[in-house]
Amino acid sequence: MSDRLLTPDALDEATAAGLRRLVLTLADSKRLMGIRYSDWLLGAPSIEAGIAASSMAQDEWGHARLLYALLKALGLDPVEVEHDRPASAYAPIGALDEPMPDWAALVAAMVVVDGALTSVLASFGEGAYEPARSRVPKMVTEEEFHASLGAAWYRRLAGSEEARPMLVAATEAMLPEVLAWVGADDDAQGAVVGAEILPRASERLARYRDEVRDLLAAAGVDVDACEATRGWDEARGRTPGQPDEESVERARGDRNRALFVE
Amino acid sequence: MLEIVYDVFARKDRGDPLVHIGYVDALDAETARVYAWKTYDEEKWFDMYVVERSAIVPVNRFEGPFAKAHRRKS
Repeated sequence: MSDRLLTPDALDEATAAGLRRLVLTLADSKRLMGIRYSDWLLGAPSIEAGIAASSMAQDEWGHARLLYALLKALGLDPVEVEHDRPASAYAPIGALDEPMPDWAALVAAMVVVDGALTSVLASFGEGAYEPARSRVPKMVTEEEFHASLGAAWYRRLAGSEEARPMLVAATEAMLPEVLAWVGADDDAQGAVVGAEILPRASERLARYRDEVRDLLAAAGVDVDACEATRGWDEARGRTPGQPDEESVERARGDRNRALFVE
Repeated sequence: MLEIVYDVFARKDRGDPLVHIGYVDALDAETARVYAWKTYDEEKWFDMYVVERSAIVPVNRFEGPFAKAHRRKS
């Protein structure tokens, strides 16, 4: 836990800009993670698994809403951010850009992507930014159930000869994108680290790798041998690319825009 | 994949009796606790527990789902 305590009005412009970008990548990732979970309300391996996926979708959307709300104090209108941006402006972790093709991919995303979000979010909640310290711990507590379910399913699929190749393929496709995001080390992130809002990139990566190493090893994936995706979009704080248009239309609520109440 | 029946017990307030509120089919105890928490979330529970049905030992009635599950295991 950082000894410093920063309120929004104490931030210099470079730190505020870096923080806006960090909060947007967290919020957009949670919104897209929620959509990916929601796709499996129907079609999950059991009714209980579908209910859990649906409930986790609700958790993610609730977290996204709370994170978008943090942007107000940083000079952005959360309503515009949530409802008026094109897909090219969204900044989720690249591994969430496309729908999950099968249950094994969703399980990999629970562990690799949702786990990374929780890891960085936990650091954010332990950092110097006061609004994060008061809002983030409850999110991290709720994520404990996601981690538990992800770990149990991951171990189960890793032990299945039929499912393991699908699990490994999904894990290995997601990890480079996740490592690039967790280990972001450009000027904008540097400003956030300098203000003690987040730990250094090397510390974030070490924490994340420690958290997933043993579980991924159950499927034969070595997180320490995996390298981050090359290429970086500094404006959005993610790798190049964007989420699919249909998912962003759902995230924005385009279909029922005429009924929008805020 | 083989699933196991877990019965779900919960109480709303400290001191209330623990009540059987339903069951979930799950891979193992870890998935059972998540499924239970996510499925039976219509109340704000003080605490909740899952028990593998086959671990419940019938005392005086030897018919019904609990007794059947116990017979299968023993």
